[in-house]
Amino acid sequence: MKKFLVVLLAMLSVVVLFAQKSGGRLVIAMETEPVGLDPHLVTAFASHRVLENIYDGLMRYGENMKLVPNIAEEAQAVDPYTIVFKIREGVRFHDGTPLTVEDVLFSFQRILNPDTKSPAAAYYQDVESIKAIGDNKIEFKLKKPMASALLPNFAGVNSSIVSKKSLESGKNLQLETNGTGPFYLAEYVQGNYMILKKNPYYFVKDQPYLDEIKIVFMPEEVSRVAALRNGDVDIAKINEPLNLKQFPEGRFKVYRSPVLSYYLIGINTTRKPLNDPKVRNALNYAINREAIIKVVAFSEGVVTGPLNPAVQPWALQPKDFEEYKYNPAKAKELLTQAGYPNGFEFEIVTSQRYNFDKVAEVIQAQLAEIGVKVKINLVEWGIFIKRWRESDFDAFISMNSGSIEPDIQFYRTFRTGGSTNVFLYSNPRVDELLELGRSTVDVMKRKEVYDELQRILVKESPIIFLYSANQIFVSNTSIEGFKLLPNESLVFLRETYKK
Amino acid sequence: MSFSYLLRRVITSVPTVFFVVFVVFIAIHLVPGDVVDMMLGTQNYLTQEQINQLYRQYGLDKPLIVQFGVWLKNLFTLDFGTSLRTGKKVIDLIFDRFPVTLELSILSMVFASAIGIPLGIVAAIKKDSFVDGLVRVVGLIGLSSPSFWVGAILIVIFSGTFKGFNIFGFVHIHEDFLRNLQVMFLPALTLGLMLAAQIMRMARSSMLDVLQQEYIRTAKAKGVSYSKLIGKHALKNALIPIVTLSGIQLGYLLAGTIVIENMFALPGLGRLLLQAVNERDYPVIQFVVMFIAMLIVILNILVDFIYTLIDPRVELK
Amino acid sequence: MNRTLKKFLRKPLNIISIVLIILIVILAIFPSRFTPHNPYSMDYDAFLEGPSLKHIFGTDQFGRDIFSRCLYGLQKSVIIAFSSILLASSIGTILGLIAGYYGGLWDLIIMRICDGFFAFPSLILALFIVALFGSNLLNLIIAIGVVYVPIFARTVRGAALSVRESLFVKASKVIGKSSLKIMFSDVLLNLSSVMIVTFTTNLSTAFLTEASLGFLGLSVPPPEPTLGGLVGQGTAFLISAPWIALFPGFVIAVVVLTLNILGDGLRDVLDPKNK
Repeated sequence: MKKFLVVLLAMLSVVVLFAQKSGGRLVIAMETEPVGLDPHLVTAFASHRVLENIYDGLMRYGENMKLVPNIAEEAQAVDPYTIVFKIREGVRFHDGTPLTVEDVLFSFQRILNPDTKSPAAAYYQDVESIKAIGDNKIEFKLKKPMASALLPNFAGVNSSIVSKKSLESGKNLQLETNGTGPFYLAEYVQGNYMILKKNPYYFVKDQPYLDEIKIVFMPEEVSRVAALRNGDVDIAKINEPLNLKQFPEGRFKVYRSPVLSYYLIGINTTRKPLNDPKVRNALNYAINREAIIKVVAFSEGVVTGPLNPAVQPWALQPKDFEEYKYNPAKAKELLTQAGYPNGFEFEIVTSQRYNFDKVAEVIQAQLAEIGVKVKINLVEWGIFIKRWRESDFDAFISMNSGSIEPDIQFYRTFRTGGSTNVFLYSNPRVDELLELGRSTVDVMKRKEVYDELQRILVKESPIIFLYSANQIFVSNTSIEGFKLLPNESLVFLRETYKK
Repeated sequence: MSFSYLLRRVITSVPTVFFVVFVVFIAIHLVPGDVVDMMLGTQNYLTQEQINQLYRQYGLDKPLIVQFGVWLKNLFTLDFGTSLRTGKKVIDLIFDRFPVTLELSILSMVFASAIGIPLGIVAAIKKDSFVDGLVRVVGLIGLSSPSFWVGAILIVIFSGTFKGFNIFGFVHIHEDFLRNLQVMFLPALTLGLMLAAQIMRMARSSMLDVLQQEYIRTAKAKGVSYSKLIGKHALKNALIPIVTLSGIQLGYLLAGTIVIENMFALPGLGRLLLQAVNERDYPVIQFVVMFIAMLIVILNILVDFIYTLIDPRVELK
Repeated sequence: MNRTLKKFLRKPLNIISIVLIILIVILAIFPSRFTPHNPYSMDYDAFLEGPSLKHIFGTDQFGRDIFSRCLYGLQKSVIIAFSSILLASSIGTILGLIAGYYGGLWDLIIMRICDGFFAFPSLILALFIVALFGSNLLNLIIAIGVVYVPIFARTVRGAALSVRESLFVKASKVIGKSSLKIMFSDVLLNLSSVMIVTFTTNLSTAFLTEASLGFLGLSVPPPEPTLGGLVGQGTAFLISAPWIALFPGFVIAVVVLTLNILGDGLRDVLDPKNK
């Protein structure tokens, strides 16, 4: 009997050992470097990717973009004007201090303080008051009945919870971190690499699995491809799908996922002849979006309407819009009706990032076929931003980040005078719909509002929505548990492990 | 080299460096898009009042001349500035990044000399023969190929053929000697090939010059052995222009490693400057440009000094 | 002059370089005669094809023929490099003459400014100018040309200095020739051989500089092809579709190589030291 028990125990421990997914060091190559480390201030893509594993917010995105509570144990929209979060117990900052409701309160006060200049402040402008209830609950009271529309914002890096004590003792969060996330920043050699180490106090049991993540900065794609091939890195993002040929199955794993960010042609609606919505509408028919995806993204992408087609229940499908059917003859006809039988000329400003220039080239060629002559003005990114802000363009090509929440997708961009409405677009009905969408609670009624909005946006095309490119990552076969999210975040590194 | 000469050289170099720094200052501030624009990107989340606050905070609201004056004043108090985008002190950034570029430059020179000098001397000794022609053409190919092209090709070949050879993942030489040499090998080779061609031509032509000199011909006529001739007399004198060229090349190297550092993911000064320009990080740009300009000036003076050591006939007054 | 020409043509390498230069110039002036395809038209069914009979250098990701794009890129790059060196040599010569002949304060100011440009990494200077003023043809020529002015100024100044002191000039002065006339006729005459060599050598460097700018995306904007730009765009595909970056890079190398051989050959023949 004793012998049997010993054997059983031995077998069990072997099984347990194999079942454990712990340990290991992951090396990931990133194209750009973080710019600053303060979660309330950062806007750089790389900063977000790193900080989302070091800091936590009240909410976070789980698989399939499902919004789940994070630092909060529970999130309740008590009524359309009120959200109450119950704070989890046992959460600790990396320096060991426990997280209290004070820290949550402090974090949002800091965000809302205009002296902080946080990007997140704009999201919470309709918050009337924030109050702690007891020592483990926090209540947000809103000026508009937009509780469910506001919720996704709590999952952003810019809304992370920071340590009140750290900040009050003078710590500069741009240079040092103190979060609650699955990893902490152990080493940062600027221009070279970053080392994240496992947080032993992380509030999700057993996570993260990895002991260490080394992030190496490699600006050139050819370098990242070579580094994957010779084993210098374990996993990296691949921008050119053509390079996937270098990663044969069996030795490498390929991860793909659609993304929410989308390519667009932004149009200055005050410049002739693009100030005529009929003209803008006509251009849609001359643009063959599928061809752009084929040629620029090697078919790794989807055509998108004002909302990404996968965003349910809100998105209208591109195939339901007349304007999305490629028909150069119709485009020419519509232009003639609008008074431009011989086409016209305009300038597209863009930059050499993320293939914007390639998209511009294809569109230039496509529009040439209906007599519309496009001049491409390729400028450096800083100059582009300046011209974008000052609406100093006929049209531009760029990429916007997308959201699963239509209010976040549309409000600031299409409202008259909206902060990202560089198109100088102004439509009173659109303004009405935007406010209505924000304050309607009933999902069916809300859908009606946003359906009408999407139809108007496609008809008047202040933006010509183009497509969303898939994101692609490649790793060697020792990596398991890595998943991608459509908002391009890397939060699943906490569930990744090395065989 | 007399002290007064040294002093004079240093003093007259100051306006040169000043001029360079001033021109860069004006140029970078005139380029559309400033550091606040880069921060906001296409998210535009600040009100005009907040933006003005930022300008005041960074000292960017003052006229350009005043800003330049402030920067100069800070220099005198040894305050070299703080990066606007990351908050790190500029002097720390230089300490971190400069050794990388320096190592890359020195290793490139080593490769270049090791390849170029022997080839050049051989070509000179065997002038007008087939070997001479071959060496010259091969050398010229090195000189003609764009370094970014050569670098990319080397990366592809090495990553495909020698798996396990570390191409990327820079570590300092004192951290891991072997790994450092591995990751520096390809970038140094790429730059070295380009320079080797120049050195080879210079070695060949200066060797030729020396070989035709009276005293060499006299020694030959007197019956001194050929190898002793080459070794002792010719070589030493041929080295002079090579040293001069190396000094100049080192200067260009220090400034021109941008593309290579980017491609091989090396955390050097060139890449820092490129990033700073992209992000309009004015304090970093200012100081790095000044640093490089000063280095080149110092190098030029140093080269002249070494010149006097090698050739006692040369006197710097 | 004839003697030098004969000496020059005696070396087979020089003959080859002359032939190649003529070929390059013809290709650069009349690219349309040699391009089998339109370099701008996109063929969506033929993208990323390797070299074939139909497309000698293959096609890029838009289905454009790379050989045709190389030829048009060659034209652009040749125009930019040549014009910029022409500009640099003209301005540099004038500055060098003034500095060398008149000396004094002029000399000091001009030479200090030239030192400044020397100390300045040329690529960064060009980067600034292009970023400031945009990347059209004229700006690029100015941006690259400006960088080479000091080299010409230095060379001419040196020659001007030595000529100024020569007996020959002093004699001319006595005769009554105006200073300006002396400067132009005597100084420039002496300079011609040095100028030719300097011109050719720096032409090759200017070509490489334009290629580097193109690589960084700062040369003439799309859909205009430039050799450096083609290499830059092709580098990301280097492993999967190497022909996009290889062939344009190869063309750059051949042009620069030819210019260098020419420069060497000229120097061998014209440099008084090598006689």
